[in-house]
Amino acid sequence: MSATIVRFWGTRGVIPCAATAREVREKIANALVIAREAAIESREDALRFIDSELDFASNATYGGATSCVEIESGDDAFFICDMGSGLQNFGREAQRLVRRGRRGKFNIFLSHLHWDHIMGLPSFLPALDDGCAIVIHAGHADAEEALRRQQEETYCSTPFDAFAATIDFVTMEPGREIEVDGLRVTAMLQDHPGGSFGYRFVDPASRRIVYSTDSEHRIDDMEREDAFTFFFRDADLVICDTMYSLAASNSAKEDRGHSSNLVAIDLCRQAGARRLAMFHHDPLHGDEEIQRMHEDSLRYEKLTRGDAALEVLCAYDGLEIAL
Amino acid sequence: MEVTCSLSADAAIVAPVGRVDEASWEEFGAHLARGIEEASNHSRDTLIVDLSQIEYMSSRGLRALTMAKQEGLAAGVSVRLAAPNDIMREILAISRYDKLFAVDDVPPASGAAD
Repeated sequence: MSATIVRFWGTRGVIPCAATAREVREKIANALVIAREAAIESREDALRFIDSELDFASNATYGGATSCVEIESGDDAFFICDMGSGLQNFGREAQRLVRRGRRGKFNIFLSHLHWDHIMGLPSFLPALDDGCAIVIHAGHADAEEALRRQQEETYCSTPFDAFAATIDFVTMEPGREIEVDGLRVTAMLQDHPGGSFGYRFVDPASRRIVYSTDSEHRIDDMEREDAFTFFFRDADLVICDTMYSLAASNSAKEDRGHSSNLVAIDLCRQAGARRLAMFHHDPLHGDEEIQRMHEDSLRYEKLTRGDAALEVLCAYDGLEIAL
Repeated sequence: MEVTCSLSADAAIVAPVGRVDEASWEEFGAHLARGIEEASNHSRDTLIVDLSQIEYMSSRGLRALTMAKQEGLAAGVSVRLAAPNDIMREILAISRYDKLFAVDDVPPASGAAD
């Protein structure tokens, strides 16, 4: 059976952001200084140097598109978690594949209806293709109303009814597993202003992927945390909101509806998960700050490790994980 | 986890030994709450948590500290952390709890165990 592949098209929270010209110049200048005594004669040499001598924040960027994650699995339908601004690039690539013969069926799972998780729809090319079918699964019963409102001319030049694709809505009931084009999916209500929903996917080979973003874990509600441990159980990959430090999530950022890297690690460990992808990065954080948070997370995982190691990845726009 | 509670001239002191994790955070939190009560009952305005003998502390233990800080605020008792060993110093930095709490390098002046 072929691998399930998880692709991150948008990993940022709240609002899209992009590296400035100055930041890119800084990266290039720093790389040139480090490379001044390296024997770089070819493009291959340069790529080797980049991979071996420069850390991620120096040689790349975590990206600035908001939440959008693709799960390639099951039959040939597409599976997408959230329609943040990353949906635009996903849609471009998907449309190319559809033109080459892939089925234009898009199963979308919305965590919630906040702007950063739906803003990609107006730029989603397959929505303009009358050969495509889009099914939007959401825990919120008013998802259609919210998405129609986003297309009103006050906000957008394309009205919802101008989309040529067929668009259907399915309201998910938390805790009730459904099967969608070969994947079994269960939703879970999460703590976020207005409510949000996490999704647990199980593919035909029993590989388990959990998408849990925009979810606050409060200091005085550990019973609820046990429910998350169950939801994350034995996952091959947990994509988890790690926007803040633990201190920030418990103090200045309390009630914002987000989680921390340390809670994500502890939940994954208790759940027996194999891999955690840190997700929904703070748009106020530059690449070096996100990298530092990743390094801190790796260290915490090591300091508190029990019998089994948890692999801690830091998601970035463009990351692919084969399960 | 074992916990020693005592009173010094200036503060109530809670000194846990071992791991504060998913299995022991509730007990740790209960000791912190009791320490705040003791400080308040004996006219001390500070609770000091001696971190020198901690093996490690998970996020649940750290969050018990936050709850104690909030409870202390309501009772007029400030919570300070003291003498973190190398592991605890690192965990406080990683969690940014060293920004949330006052951290003293030296152990608290000892009091009589209750």
